[in-house]
Amino acid sequence: LRRLTQVRWSRYNPSFLEPEVNKELYQKPQEQLSEEEKERMELKAVRPIKAAPSSVSSSVFSDPMISKFTNMMMKGGNKVLARSLMAQTLETLKRKQLEKYHKAPEDEKEAIECNPYVIFHQALKNCQPIIGLSSITKGGKTYQVPVPLTDNRKRFLAMKWLITECRENKNRRTMLPEKLSQELLQAFNNEGPIIKKKHVLHKMAEANRAYAHFRWW
Amino acid sequence: KAIAYLFPSGLFDKRARPMMKHPTEIFPEQRKIQWGEDGRPLHFLFYTGKQSYYSLMHETYEKFLNAQKHQDQLIAQGLPHQKEKKNLVGSRWLTKIELEEMLLEKLSDDDYSRFILLLQKLMTLPCGDTEEKYVQKFTREVPVQLQKVVIEPLKYDERGVAFSTGEGARKTANATAVVYDNGTGKITVNGIDILHYFPVLQDREQLLFPFQFLDRVGKHDMVCTVSGGGRSAQAGAIRLASAKALRSFVTEREVEFMRQAGLLTLDPRVKERKKPGQEGARRKFTWKKR
Repeated sequence: LRRLTQVRWSRYNPSFLEPEVNKELYQKPQEQLSEEEKERMELKAVRPIKAAPSSVSSSVFSDPMISKFTNMMMKGGNKVLARSLMAQTLETLKRKQLEKYHKAPEDEKEAIECNPYVIFHQALKNCQPIIGLSSITKGGKTYQVPVPLTDNRKRFLAMKWLITECRENKNRRTMLPEKLSQELLQAFNNEGPIIKKKHVLHKMAEANRAYAHFRWW
Repeated sequence: KAIAYLFPSGLFDKRARPMMKHPTEIFPEQRKIQWGEDGRPLHFLFYTGKQSYYSLMHETYEKFLNAQKHQDQLIAQGLPHQKEKKNLVGSRWLTKIELEEMLLEKLSDDDYSRFILLLQKLMTLPCGDTEEKYVQKFTREVPVQLQKVVIEPLKYDERGVAFSTGEGARKTANATAVVYDNGTGKITVNGIDILHYFPVLQDREQLLFPFQFLDRVGKHDMVCTVSGGGRSAQAGAIRLASAKALRSFVTEREVEFMRQAGLLTLDPRVKERKKPGQEGARRKFTWKKR
């Protein structure tokens, strides 16, 4: 049950449901839906639905993960700049991969991944930590306790690491899209500073394994 | 009688009587005296402070235990039957204020949420008729009024081409769109082509969203007028207007799909007002220690 005195409230009535933009879900025939989906469809038929946000569309080019990443890259509300940077990153990724593709011999051509979206998703997945650390104060001392992370938190950490890495450890002359595409390719191949950071976090969690019982949730 | 005939007064007319509410509506119910003549309280939970709340929790928990016992018996006998889902649709739980009125006692948020959680737990178990009636006392009907939108029929202009109009708004922007049939996919805003009016890709994507959703990208022409708001608000307003106009061209099932995709809802989000004592709507002034 939601807390009765809300700190963050929205203009919508709590009975409004989230919109579903994906076209394919609506074109699926009735028999293929599972029980849960049928229940959700019935509920959706009766309840009012929120308006779709302006960053989301049903075209092939809009991806929820990419929009989340663009929003995190955005500074001061400048969505135009963030989106153009994202587009340039994907373009540079594609160019680099195509270069490699044309130079490679015949048998390796199939192994090279050219789709920038696939590379992005795979790189993000490789960067996600499995376990995190949380500081718990017990008896005056603060311990770093290993703690399981939710999916949202994992994705957020991966994206945050990528962005901070690209902003801080780059040469003054290199552009962000170039640096980002470099990092993404490295993460795709499971190498590079972000993967190292993830491994360091895992090792710390393994080292502090003794304090795992401090967690009460 | 002569005076009453010659000088008629409306004071004694039935329609001039004062319109007052029933006394039960004006005076709220008060609790009766909780203790007898000897000073001993009548209810056994009087000294808890919230006697009706705790007795209610007591009853509900008793029912819950009975339902659990019943379920255990069913499992022991054979396959337990699946609980049918109801109350998904037309009912909601009692609000805290309504519960307070029912119990004639003040409740805290925590108490209220505990009670509702217990009721929800009771709902998940297979329960008989009596328990259902008991739970129904704490539910209220939600009037379901969603499919009351009238879809206008298509109009035909001088050339014989079918068209329909729609209106949309977002933040402070207002837009009207006229969607023509048998078109090439040209979209004009305030007399200017969209490529010049909306240089940003995101806005153009939003304009094409309803057409792309219905797979009718190159089949319609659109002429819109928009005023007010900023770049993104104008795009959102035109999107709503075109979605409303497209309803006349499309089957009812597709209209339902558009609604579930969030294309036909007016976005209620507006700029939050600035509050006194703060710099903006949420941002506070810089905190200075001294």
